[in-house]
Amino acid sequence: MAISDVQEYTHLTSEEVEELGRELDAIRAGIEESRGDADAAYINRMITVQRRLAAAARVTLMAGRWKPAWLAGTTMLGVAKILENMEIGHNVMHGQWDWMNDPEIHSSTWEWDTAQPAEQWKHSHNYVHHQFTNVLGHDNDIGYGILRMAREQKWHPANLGQPVYNAALALLFQWGVALHDLDLEAIRKREKDPRVMKKQLRQIGQKVRRQIAKDYVVYPALSGPGWQATMTANATANLIRNVWSYAIIFCGHFPDGALHFTEEELEDETRAEWYLRQLLGSANFTGSRLLHVLSGSLGFQIEHHLFPDLPSNRYPEIAVKVQALCEKYDLPYTTGPLWKQYGQALRTITKLSLPNSMTSSDQPEPPTPPVSRGRLRDDQRPTRRLETGAWTRASA
Amino acid sequence: MRLSSLGELLAPRRPRVEGANSSSWSTPPPDPELGVPVPFACAYDDGRASLALLNKARVTQCALSRICGVCGRGLDRPVAFVGTAVEEGRNAFHFPPLHAACAASLVAVVRQHDVPLPGQAEATDPVVVTCSGFEFVRPTAADLDRRPVFTPY
Repeated sequence: MAISDVQEYTHLTSEEVEELGRELDAIRAGIEESRGDADAAYINRMITVQRRLAAAARVTLMAGRWKPAWLAGTTMLGVAKILENMEIGHNVMHGQWDWMNDPEIHSSTWEWDTAQPAEQWKHSHNYVHHQFTNVLGHDNDIGYGILRMAREQKWHPANLGQPVYNAALALLFQWGVALHDLDLEAIRKREKDPRVMKKQLRQIGQKVRRQIAKDYVVYPALSGPGWQATMTANATANLIRNVWSYAIIFCGHFPDGALHFTEEELEDETRAEWYLRQLLGSANFTGSRLLHVLSGSLGFQIEHHLFPDLPSNRYPEIAVKVQALCEKYDLPYTTGPLWKQYGQALRTITKLSLPNSMTSSDQPEPPTPPVSRGRLRDDQRPTRRLETGAWTRASA
Repeated sequence: MRLSSLGELLAPRRPRVEGANSSSWSTPPPDPELGVPVPFACAYDDGRASLALLNKARVTQCALSRICGVCGRGLDRPVAFVGTAVEEGRNAFHFPPLHAACAASLVAVVRQHDVPLPGQAEATDPVVVTCSGFEFVRPTAADLDRRPVFTPY
Protein backbone atom coordinates (compact mmCIF):
# COMPACT_ATOMS: atom_id res chain seq x y z
CA MET A 1 0.00 0.00 0.00
CA ALA A 2 1.10 3.56 -0.60
CA ILE A 3 1.37 5.96 2.31
CA SER A 4 -1.85 7.68 1.20
CA ASP A 5 -3.73 4.38 1.58
CA VAL A 6 -2.49 3.51 5.04
CA GLN A 7 -5.54 3.02 7.22
CA GLU A 8 -3.71 4.22 10.31
CA TYR A 9 -4.01 7.76 9.05
CA THR A 10 -6.82 7.81 6.52
CA HIS A 11 -9.06 9.38 9.20
CA LEU A 12 -7.07 12.60 8.75
CA THR A 13 -8.00 15.24 6.16
CA SER A 14 -5.21 16.59 3.95
CA GLU A 15 -5.31 19.83 5.95
CA GLU A 16 -4.80 17.85 9.16
CA VAL A 17 -1.89 15.97 7.59
CA GLU A 18 -0.24 19.25 6.59
CA GLU A 19 -0.95 20.71 10.03
CA LEU A 20 0.76 17.70 11.61
CA GLY A 21 3.71 18.33 9.27
CA ARG A 22 3.86 21.97 10.42
CA GLU A 23 3.81 20.90 14.07
CA LEU A 24 6.68 18.49 13.44
CA ASP A 25 8.55 21.27 11.61
CA ALA A 26 8.08 23.44 14.70
CA ILE A 27 9.59 20.73 16.92
CA ARG A 28 12.57 20.58 14.57
CA ALA A 29 12.97 24.36 14.53
CA GLY A 30 12.84 24.48 18.33
CA ILE A 31 15.72 22.01 18.63
CA GLU A 32 17.77 23.76 15.95
CA GLU A 33 17.37 27.10 17.70
CA SER A 34 18.35 25.74 21.08
CA ARG A 35 21.19 23.38 20.19
CA GLY A 36 24.52 24.60 21.45
CA ASP A 37 27.23 24.11 24.05
CA ALA A 38 25.35 21.55 26.14
CA ASP A 39 24.83 19.33 23.08
CA ALA A 40 28.46 19.71 22.01
CA ALA A 41 29.53 18.80 25.53
CA TYR A 42 27.37 15.67 25.35
CA ILE A 43 29.00 14.22 22.22
CA ASN A 44 32.50 15.22 23.37
CA ARG A 45 31.85 13.54 26.72
CA MET A 46 30.54 10.43 24.97
CA ILE A 47 33.66 10.20 22.80
CA THR A 48 35.91 10.70 25.84
CA VAL A 49 34.09 7.98 27.79
CA GLN A 50 34.28 5.60 24.82
CA ARG A 51 38.00 6.17 24.28
CA ARG A 52 38.85 5.82 27.97
CA LEU A 53 36.79 2.65 28.13
CA ALA A 54 38.62 1.22 25.10
CA ALA A 55 42.03 2.22 26.53
CA ALA A 56 41.17 0.70 29.93
CA ALA A 57 40.07 -2.48 28.17
CA ARG A 58 43.34 -2.71 26.24
CA VAL A 59 45.43 -2.19 29.37
CA THR A 60 43.36 -4.72 31.33
CA LEU A 61 43.71 -7.28 28.55
CA MET A 62 47.49 -7.12 28.92
CA ALA A 63 46.78 -9.35 31.91
CA GLY A 64 44.22 -11.29 29.91
CA ARG A 65 45.65 -14.68 30.83
CA TRP A 66 44.12 -14.08 34.28
CA LYS A 67 40.41 -14.91 33.84
CA PRO A 68 38.89 -11.96 35.79
CA ALA A 69 41.06 -9.51 33.79
CA TRP A 70 39.97 -11.16 30.56
CA LEU A 71 36.33 -10.89 31.55
CA ALA A 72 36.60 -7.26 32.65
CA GLY A 73 38.67 -6.26 29.61
CA THR A 74 36.35 -8.02 27.18
CA THR A 75 33.26 -6.46 28.71
CA MET A 76 34.75 -2.97 28.60
CA LEU A 77 35.90 -3.47 25.02
CA GLY A 78 32.48 -4.76 23.96
CA VAL A 79 30.77 -1.75 25.51
CA ALA A 80 33.32 0.61 23.92
CA LYS A 81 32.63 -0.89 20.50
CA ILE A 82 28.88 -0.61 21.04
CA LEU A 83 29.19 3.05 22.02
CA GLU A 84 31.49 3.80 19.10
CA ASN A 85 29.26 2.15 16.53
CA MET A 86 25.86 3.16 17.84
CA GLU A 87 25.71 6.37 19.87
CA ILE A 88 28.74 7.93 18.22
CA GLY A 89 29.49 6.60 14.71
CA HIS A 90 25.95 6.05 13.47
CA ASN A 91 24.77 9.44 14.68
CA VAL A 92 27.85 11.38 13.57
CA MET A 93 27.49 9.94 10.06
CA HIS A 94 23.91 11.22 9.93
CA GLY A 95 25.32 14.74 10.28
CA GLN A 96 23.82 15.21 13.76
CA TRP A 97 26.92 17.10 14.90
CA ASP A 98 27.98 18.83 11.65
CA TRP A 99 26.68 22.14 13.02
CA MET A 100 29.61 22.13 15.48
CA ASN A 101 31.99 22.52 12.52
CA ASP A 102 34.39 20.18 14.31
CA PRO A 103 36.86 18.66 11.80
CA GLU A 104 36.76 15.33 13.61
CA ILE A 105 33.13 14.95 14.67
CA HIS A 106 31.73 15.43 11.18
CA SER A 107 29.72 13.22 8.84
CA SER A 108 32.26 13.64 6.05
CA THR A 109 35.30 12.53 8.05
CA TRP A 110 34.16 9.90 10.57
CA GLU A 111 35.27 6.31 9.95
CA TRP A 112 33.86 3.79 12.41
CA ASP A 113 35.14 0.64 14.15
CA THR A 114 33.36 -1.97 12.04
CA ALA A 115 33.94 -3.77 8.76
CA GLN A 116 31.67 -1.64 6.56
CA PRO A 117 33.32 1.48 5.13
CA ALA A 118 31.56 4.64 6.36
CA GLU A 119 31.02 5.78 2.78
CA GLN A 120 28.99 2.68 1.92
CA TRP A 121 27.02 2.94 5.17
CA LYS A 122 26.01 6.50 4.30
CA HIS A 123 24.56 5.17 1.05
CA SER A 124 22.89 1.98 2.26
CA HIS A 125 21.62 3.42 5.55
CA ASN A 126 21.36 7.22 5.37
CA TYR A 127 19.96 7.22 1.84
CA VAL A 128 18.39 3.86 0.95
CA HIS A 129 16.98 3.01 4.38
CA HIS A 130 16.06 6.50 5.59
CA GLN A 131 14.59 7.71 2.29
CA PHE A 132 12.69 4.51 1.45
CA THR A 133 11.89 3.42 5.01
CA ASN A 134 9.93 0.16 5.00
CA VAL A 135 9.11 0.47 1.28
CA LEU A 136 9.14 -3.05 -0.11
CA GLY A 137 11.56 -3.50 -2.98
CA HIS A 138 13.50 -0.38 -2.02
CA ASP A 139 14.50 -0.64 1.63
CA ASN A 140 17.13 -3.39 1.87
CA ASP A 141 16.88 -3.29 5.67
CA ILE A 142 13.63 -5.28 5.37
CA GLY A 143 15.23 -8.63 6.12
CA TYR A 144 18.72 -7.64 4.92
CA GLY A 145 18.17 -9.58 1.70
CA ILE A 146 17.98 -12.93 3.49
CA LEU A 147 14.86 -12.79 5.70
CA ARG A 148 11.20 -12.49 4.73
CA MET A 149 9.89 -9.80 7.09
CA ALA A 150 6.58 -8.70 5.51
CA ARG A 151 3.52 -10.70 4.54
CA GLU A 152 3.49 -8.81 1.23
CA GLN A 153 6.81 -10.48 0.32
CA LYS A 154 6.42 -13.68 -1.68
CA TRP A 155 7.12 -16.87 0.25
CA HIS A 156 9.81 -19.28 -1.00
CA PRO A 157 10.69 -22.72 0.42
CA ALA A 158 14.11 -21.32 1.33
CA ASN A 159 12.30 -19.14 3.90
CA LEU A 160 11.78 -22.27 6.03
CA GLY A 161 15.34 -21.80 7.23
CA GLN A 162 14.72 -18.26 8.51
CA PRO A 163 15.24 -18.99 12.21
CA VAL A 164 18.68 -20.37 11.37
CA TYR A 165 19.56 -17.50 9.00
CA ASN A 166 18.42 -15.08 11.67
CA ALA A 167 20.72 -16.59 14.30
CA ALA A 168 23.61 -16.51 11.84
CA LEU A 169 22.86 -12.88 10.99
CA ALA A 170 22.89 -11.94 14.68
CA LEU A 171 26.26 -13.60 15.28
CA LEU A 172 27.85 -12.28 12.09
CA PHE A 173 26.06 -8.93 11.99
CA GLN A 174 29.21 -6.90 11.35
CA TRP A 175 29.89 -8.90 8.20
CA GLY A 176 26.27 -8.76 7.05
CA VAL A 177 26.38 -4.98 7.38
CA ALA A 178 29.75 -4.89 5.58
CA LEU A 179 28.11 -6.47 2.53
CA HIS A 180 24.86 -4.53 2.84
CA ASP A 181 25.55 -1.82 0.26
CA LEU A 182 26.41 -4.47 -2.32
CA ASP A 183 22.65 -5.14 -2.43
CA LEU A 184 22.46 -8.93 -2.35
CA GLU A 185 18.99 -8.83 -3.92
CA ALA A 186 20.31 -6.95 -6.98
CA ILE A 187 23.22 -9.38 -7.28
CA ARG A 188 20.83 -12.33 -7.08
CA LYS A 189 18.68 -10.82 -9.84
CA ARG A 190 21.83 -10.05 -11.90
CA GLU A 191 20.95 -6.35 -11.85
CA LYS A 192 24.12 -5.21 -10.14
CA ASP A 193 26.72 -3.40 -12.27
CA PRO A 194 29.82 -5.64 -11.96
CA ARG A 195 32.16 -2.64 -12.19
CA VAL A 196 30.49 -0.94 -9.25
CA MET A 197 30.48 -4.21 -7.31
CA LYS A 198 34.20 -4.65 -7.94
CA LYS A 199 34.96 -1.15 -6.69
CA GLN A 200 32.80 -1.67 -3.62
CA LEU A 201 34.42 -5.02 -2.85
CA ARG A 202 37.85 -3.43 -3.12
CA GLN A 203 36.81 -0.77 -0.63
CA ILE A 204 35.29 -3.34 1.74
CA GLY A 205 38.46 -5.44 1.42
CA GLN A 206 40.60 -2.48 2.44
CA LYS A 207 38.46 -1.83 5.52
CA VAL A 208 38.25 -5.51 6.45
CA ARG A 209 42.03 -5.89 6.23
CA ARG A 210 42.43 -2.92 8.53
CA GLN A 211 39.91 -4.27 11.06
CA ILE A 212 41.40 -7.76 11.08
CA ALA A 213 44.95 -6.40 11.38
CA LYS A 214 43.90 -4.27 14.36
CA ASP A 215 41.86 -6.84 16.27
CA TYR A 216 43.62 -10.07 15.40
CA VAL A 217 47.26 -9.17 14.62
CA VAL A 218 48.51 -5.89 16.12
CA TYR A 219 46.76 -5.86 19.52
CA PRO A 220 47.48 -9.56 20.16
CA ALA A 221 51.11 -8.96 19.16
CA LEU A 222 51.33 -6.05 21.60
CA SER A 223 50.05 -8.35 24.36
CA GLY A 224 53.16 -10.54 24.15
CA PRO A 225 52.68 -13.95 25.74
CA GLY A 226 49.00 -13.16 26.37
CA TRP A 227 48.28 -12.82 22.66
CA GLN A 228 45.76 -15.66 22.63
CA ALA A 229 43.72 -14.09 25.42
CA THR A 230 43.70 -10.73 23.62
CA MET A 231 42.65 -12.36 20.39
CA THR A 232 39.73 -14.21 21.99
CA ALA A 233 38.78 -11.08 23.91
CA ASN A 234 38.65 -9.06 20.69
CA ALA A 235 36.58 -11.74 18.97
CA THR A 236 34.20 -11.91 21.94
CA ALA A 237 33.85 -8.10 22.11
CA ASN A 238 33.02 -8.05 18.40
CA LEU A 239 30.47 -10.81 18.97
CA ILE A 240 28.85 -8.90 21.86
CA ARG A 241 28.63 -5.79 19.65
CA ASN A 242 27.22 -7.86 16.77
CA VAL A 243 24.41 -9.47 18.75
CA TRP A 244 23.51 -6.25 20.58
CA SER A 245 23.39 -4.05 17.49
CA TYR A 246 21.42 -6.71 15.60
CA ALA A 247 18.81 -6.89 18.37
CA ILE A 248 18.48 -3.10 18.62
CA ILE A 249 18.18 -2.64 14.87
CA PHE A 250 15.56 -5.38 14.53
CA CYS A 251 13.48 -3.63 17.20
CA GLY A 252 13.32 -0.52 15.02
CA HIS A 253 11.02 -1.65 12.23
CA PHE A 254 9.78 -5.18 12.83
CA PRO A 255 7.67 -5.15 16.02
CA ASP A 256 3.88 -5.32 15.50
CA GLY A 257 2.51 -1.94 14.48
CA ALA A 258 5.45 -0.88 12.27
CA LEU A 259 4.00 -0.81 8.76
CA HIS A 260 5.39 -1.66 5.33
CA PHE A 261 4.63 0.30 2.17
CA THR A 262 4.79 -0.04 -1.61
CA GLU A 263 6.37 2.46 -3.94
CA GLU A 264 3.30 4.25 -5.37
CA GLU A 265 3.42 8.02 -4.93
CA LEU A 266 6.91 7.94 -3.48
CA GLU A 267 8.10 10.45 -6.06
CA ASP A 268 5.40 13.00 -5.20
CA GLU A 269 5.42 12.44 -1.46
CA THR A 270 5.15 15.69 0.51
CA ARG A 271 7.16 16.45 3.62
CA ALA A 272 4.14 15.73 5.83
CA GLU A 273 3.54 12.38 4.07
CA TRP A 274 7.22 11.54 4.44
CA TYR A 275 6.94 12.33 8.17
CA LEU A 276 3.91 10.03 8.39
CA ARG A 277 5.66 7.18 6.64
CA GLN A 278 8.60 7.47 9.04
CA LEU A 279 6.26 7.63 12.02
CA LEU A 280 4.13 4.66 10.98
CA GLY A 281 7.04 2.53 9.79
CA SER A 282 9.14 2.78 12.95
CA ALA A 283 8.90 1.42 16.49
CA ASN A 284 10.44 2.61 19.76
CA PHE A 285 11.32 0.74 22.91
CA THR A 286 11.28 1.94 26.49
CA GLY A 287 14.07 1.75 29.04
CA SER A 288 16.56 3.63 31.18
CA ARG A 289 18.78 6.46 29.93
CA LEU A 290 21.75 4.04 29.97
CA LEU A 291 19.88 1.57 27.78
CA HIS A 292 19.08 4.34 25.30
CA VAL A 293 22.70 5.50 25.16
CA LEU A 294 23.93 1.94 24.63
CA SER A 295 21.39 1.47 21.87
CA GLY A 296 22.58 4.58 20.03
CA SER A 297 19.32 6.32 20.96
CA LEU A 298 17.54 3.91 18.60
CA GLY A 299 14.99 3.24 21.34
CA PHE A 300 13.72 6.54 19.92
CA GLN A 301 13.57 5.07 16.43
CA ILE A 302 10.46 7.09 15.55
CA GLU A 303 12.11 10.37 16.50
CA HIS A 304 15.35 9.28 14.81
CA HIS A 305 13.48 8.63 11.55
CA LEU A 306 11.59 11.91 11.76
CA PHE A 307 14.74 13.92 12.48
CA PRO A 308 17.80 11.80 11.63
CA ASP A 309 20.13 14.81 11.65
CA LEU A 310 19.14 16.29 15.00
CA PRO A 311 21.42 15.53 17.99
CA SER A 312 20.57 12.17 19.54
CA ASN A 313 20.72 13.52 23.11
CA ARG A 314 17.61 15.58 22.32
CA TYR A 315 15.46 12.61 21.26
CA PRO A 316 13.97 12.05 24.75
CA GLU A 317 12.46 15.56 24.83
CA ILE A 318 11.37 15.29 21.18
CA ALA A 319 9.68 11.96 21.97
CA VAL A 320 7.39 13.58 24.54
CA LYS A 321 6.19 16.08 21.93
CA VAL A 322 5.83 13.50 19.15
CA GLN A 323 3.83 11.18 21.40
CA ALA A 324 1.52 14.09 22.28
CA LEU A 325 1.02 14.80 18.56
CA CYS A 326 0.17 11.15 17.93
CA GLU A 327 -2.48 11.30 20.62
CA LYS A 328 -3.85 14.56 19.23
CA TYR A 329 -4.12 13.18 15.69
CA ASP A 330 -5.17 9.67 16.78
CA LEU A 331 -2.08 8.08 15.24
CA PRO A 332 -0.39 4.93 16.55
CA TYR A 333 2.89 5.43 18.44
CA THR A 334 4.46 1.98 18.56
CA THR A 335 6.51 1.38 21.69
CA GLY A 336 7.09 -1.17 24.45
CA PRO A 337 9.82 -2.76 26.54
CA LEU A 338 12.89 -4.00 24.65
CA TRP A 339 12.17 -7.67 25.38
CA LYS A 340 8.63 -7.33 24.04
CA GLN A 341 9.65 -5.47 20.87
CA TYR A 342 12.40 -7.96 20.09
CA GLY A 343 10.06 -10.84 20.92
CA GLN A 344 7.59 -9.57 18.35
CA ALA A 345 10.32 -9.22 15.72
CA LEU A 346 11.48 -12.77 16.48
CA ARG A 347 7.91 -14.06 16.21
CA THR A 348 7.53 -12.36 12.83
CA ILE A 349 10.76 -13.95 11.58
CA THR A 350 9.56 -17.36 12.71
CA LYS A 351 5.98 -16.99 11.41
CA LEU A 352 7.03 -15.65 8.04
CA SER A 353 9.26 -18.64 7.46
CA LEU A 354 5.92 -20.30 6.62
CA PRO A 355 3.46 -19.37 3.83
CA ASN A 356 0.81 -16.73 4.67
CA SER A 357 -1.94 -19.37 4.46
CA MET A 358 -0.48 -21.12 7.51
CA THR A 359 -0.16 -18.02 9.71
CA SER A 360 -2.14 -14.94 10.72
CA SER A 361 -1.16 -11.27 10.71
CA ASP A 362 -0.17 -9.66 14.02
CA GLN A 363 -0.73 -6.07 12.90
CA PRO A 364 -3.03 -4.18 15.29
CA GLU A 365 -6.36 -2.80 14.03
CA PRO A 366 -6.17 0.76 12.62
CA PRO A 367 -8.12 3.55 14.41
CA THR A 368 -11.21 5.51 13.34
CA PRO A 369 -12.89 5.39 9.86
CA PRO A 370 -11.27 7.08 6.85
CA VAL A 371 -12.23 10.37 5.20
CA SER A 372 -11.57 11.31 1.60
CA ARG A 373 -8.62 13.59 0.95
CA GLY A 374 -7.27 15.49 -2.04
CA ARG A 375 -4.04 17.17 -2.99
CA LEU A 376 -3.87 20.98 -3.29
CA ARG A 377 -3.99 22.50 -6.77
CA ASP A 378 -1.03 24.66 -7.84
CA ASP A 379 -3.08 27.87 -7.46
CA GLN A 380 -3.85 26.94 -3.84
CA ARG A 381 -0.17 26.78 -2.94
CA PRO A 382 1.76 29.85 -1.73
CA THR A 383 5.28 30.58 -2.98
CA ARG A 384 8.36 30.08 -0.85
CA ARG A 385 9.40 32.64 1.75
CA LEU A 386 11.82 35.27 0.57
CA GLU A 387 13.61 36.40 3.74
CA THR A 388 17.36 36.77 3.51
CA GLY A 389 19.56 34.54 5.66
CA ALA A 390 23.20 34.98 6.61
CA TRP A 391 26.13 32.53 6.81
CA THR A 392 29.76 32.21 5.82
CA ARG A 393 30.00 32.85 2.15
CA ALA A 394 32.35 33.62 -0.68
CA SER A 395 31.12 35.24 -3.85
CA ALA A 396 32.44 33.23 -6.72
CA MET B 1 53.88 -2.24 8.09
CA ARG B 2 55.21 1.31 8.51
CA LEU B 3 55.17 2.90 11.95
CA SER B 4 52.84 5.69 10.74
CA SER B 5 50.37 3.10 9.41
CA LEU B 6 50.52 1.26 12.72
CA GLY B 7 49.78 4.51 14.52
CA GLU B 8 46.80 5.17 12.26
CA LEU B 9 45.52 1.66 12.85
CA LEU B 10 45.55 2.00 16.62
CA ALA B 11 44.57 5.68 16.86
CA PRO B 12 41.11 6.31 18.28
CA ARG B 13 40.36 8.51 15.28
CA ARG B 14 40.35 6.29 12.20
CA PRO B 15 41.24 7.74 8.79
CA ARG B 16 38.45 7.51 6.24
CA VAL B 17 38.61 4.53 3.90
CA GLU B 18 38.42 6.07 0.46
CA GLY B 19 36.80 4.14 -2.33
CA ALA B 20 33.55 4.14 -4.17
CA ASN B 21 30.01 3.78 -3.04
CA SER B 22 27.43 2.63 -5.52
CA SER B 23 26.92 6.21 -6.67
CA SER B 24 30.50 6.83 -7.73
CA TRP B 25 30.70 8.88 -10.84
CA SER B 26 33.93 7.82 -12.43
CA THR B 27 33.08 8.52 -16.08
CA PRO B 28 30.60 11.40 -16.33
CA PRO B 29 28.83 11.57 -19.69
CA PRO B 30 29.20 14.77 -21.74
CA ASP B 31 26.43 17.33 -22.10
CA PRO B 32 24.95 16.75 -25.61
CA GLU B 33 25.08 20.48 -26.49
CA LEU B 34 28.05 21.83 -24.56
CA GLY B 35 30.27 18.75 -24.63
CA VAL B 36 31.36 19.28 -21.01
CA PRO B 37 31.20 16.50 -18.37
CA VAL B 38 27.82 16.45 -16.64
CA PRO B 39 27.60 16.62 -12.82
CA PHE B 40 26.35 13.54 -10.96
CA ALA B 41 23.11 15.29 -9.99
CA CYS B 42 22.37 16.18 -13.65
CA ALA B 43 22.17 12.64 -14.99
CA TYR B 44 19.62 9.84 -14.85
CA ASP B 45 20.06 6.09 -14.68
CA ASP B 46 18.32 5.79 -18.08
CA GLY B 47 21.18 7.67 -19.78
CA ARG B 48 19.73 11.18 -19.92
CA ALA B 49 22.39 13.70 -18.97
CA SER B 50 22.49 17.46 -19.39
CA LEU B 51 23.69 20.50 -17.52
CA ALA B 52 20.11 21.78 -17.82
CA LEU B 53 18.65 18.88 -15.83
CA LEU B 54 18.50 18.30 -12.08
CA ASN B 55 17.61 14.74 -11.10
CA LYS B 56 15.39 14.96 -8.00
CA ALA B 57 16.23 11.40 -6.91
CA ARG B 58 19.96 12.06 -7.11
CA VAL B 59 19.55 15.35 -5.27
CA THR B 60 17.99 13.40 -2.41
CA GLN B 61 20.72 10.77 -2.66
CA CYS B 62 23.43 13.45 -2.43
CA ALA B 63 21.71 14.99 0.59
CA LEU B 64 21.34 11.79 2.59
CA SER B 65 24.45 9.88 1.45
CA ARG B 66 26.41 13.08 1.96
CA ILE B 67 28.06 12.90 -1.43
CA CYS B 68 29.07 15.64 -3.86
CA GLY B 69 26.57 16.70 -6.53
CA VAL B 70 29.31 16.97 -9.14
CA CYS B 71 31.66 13.99 -8.59
CA GLY B 72 29.39 11.69 -6.54
CA ARG B 73 32.14 11.04 -3.97
CA GLY B 74 31.94 11.55 -0.21
CA LEU B 75 31.78 15.18 0.90
CA ASP B 76 34.57 16.93 2.74
CA ARG B 77 34.84 20.04 4.87
CA PRO B 78 33.83 22.75 4.20
CA VAL B 79 30.63 21.86 2.39
CA ALA B 80 29.95 24.15 -0.57
CA PHE B 81 26.72 25.18 -2.30
CA VAL B 82 26.36 26.87 -5.68
CA GLY B 83 23.27 28.90 -6.43
CA THR B 84 21.78 32.14 -7.63
CA ALA B 85 21.61 35.39 -5.70
CA VAL B 86 17.91 34.70 -5.07
CA GLU B 87 18.72 31.29 -3.57
CA GLU B 88 21.41 32.92 -1.46
CA GLY B 89 18.87 35.45 -0.24
CA ARG B 90 16.38 32.74 0.64
CA ASN B 91 19.08 30.50 2.13
CA ALA B 92 17.55 27.71 0.07
CA PHE B 93 19.65 26.06 -2.64
CA HIS B 94 18.41 23.56 -5.21
CA PHE B 95 21.75 22.12 -6.31
CA PRO B 96 23.09 19.55 -3.82
CA PRO B 97 26.19 19.99 -1.63
CA LEU B 98 29.63 19.99 -3.23
CA HIS B 99 33.34 19.83 -2.59
CA ALA B 100 34.78 23.35 -2.73
CA ALA B 101 36.83 22.39 -5.80
CA CYS B 102 33.81 20.84 -7.53
CA ALA B 103 31.82 24.01 -6.80
CA ALA B 104 34.56 26.10 -8.42
CA SER B 105 34.61 23.88 -11.51
CA LEU B 106 30.81 24.00 -11.85
CA VAL B 107 30.84 27.79 -11.58
CA ALA B 108 33.61 27.97 -14.20
CA VAL B 109 31.65 25.83 -16.67
CA VAL B 110 28.44 27.80 -16.18
CA ARG B 111 30.24 31.12 -16.66
CA GLN B 112 32.25 29.92 -19.63
CA HIS B 113 29.16 28.80 -21.53
CA ASP B 114 26.84 31.47 -20.14
CA VAL B 115 24.18 28.90 -19.26
CA PRO B 116 21.87 28.67 -16.23
CA LEU B 117 22.91 26.60 -13.23
CA PRO B 118 21.36 23.12 -13.34
CA GLY B 119 17.73 23.34 -12.32
CA GLN B 120 17.54 27.11 -12.95
CA ALA B 121 15.55 28.79 -15.71
CA GLU B 122 17.79 31.82 -16.31
CA ALA B 123 21.53 32.36 -16.55
CA THR B 124 22.69 34.53 -13.64
CA ASP B 125 26.08 34.96 -12.07
CA PRO B 126 26.43 32.06 -9.60
CA VAL B 127 27.46 32.43 -5.98
CA VAL B 128 29.31 29.91 -3.83
CA VAL B 129 28.49 29.45 -0.17
CA THR B 130 30.65 27.41 2.19
CA CYS B 131 29.38 25.99 5.46
CA SER B 132 29.85 23.21 7.99
CA GLY B 133 26.59 21.40 7.21
CA PHE B 134 23.07 21.75 5.92
CA GLU B 135 19.45 20.90 6.46
CA PHE B 136 17.67 19.01 3.68
CA VAL B 137 14.17 20.48 3.34
CA ARG B 138 11.52 18.43 1.57
CA PRO B 139 8.66 20.35 -0.11
CA THR B 140 5.29 20.66 1.58
CA ALA B 141 1.95 20.22 -0.21
CA ALA B 142 1.59 24.00 -0.15
CA ASP B 143 4.81 24.70 -2.05
CA LEU B 144 4.49 25.73 -5.68
CA ASP B 145 8.03 24.56 -6.37
CA ARG B 146 7.91 20.87 -5.40
CA ARG B 147 11.67 20.39 -5.35
CA PRO B 148 13.63 19.86 -2.13
CA VAL B 149 16.06 22.56 -1.06
CA PHE B 150 19.17 22.79 1.10
CA THR B 151 19.56 25.22 3.95
CA PRO B 152 23.26 25.68 4.79
CA TYR B 153 24.33 26.45 8.36
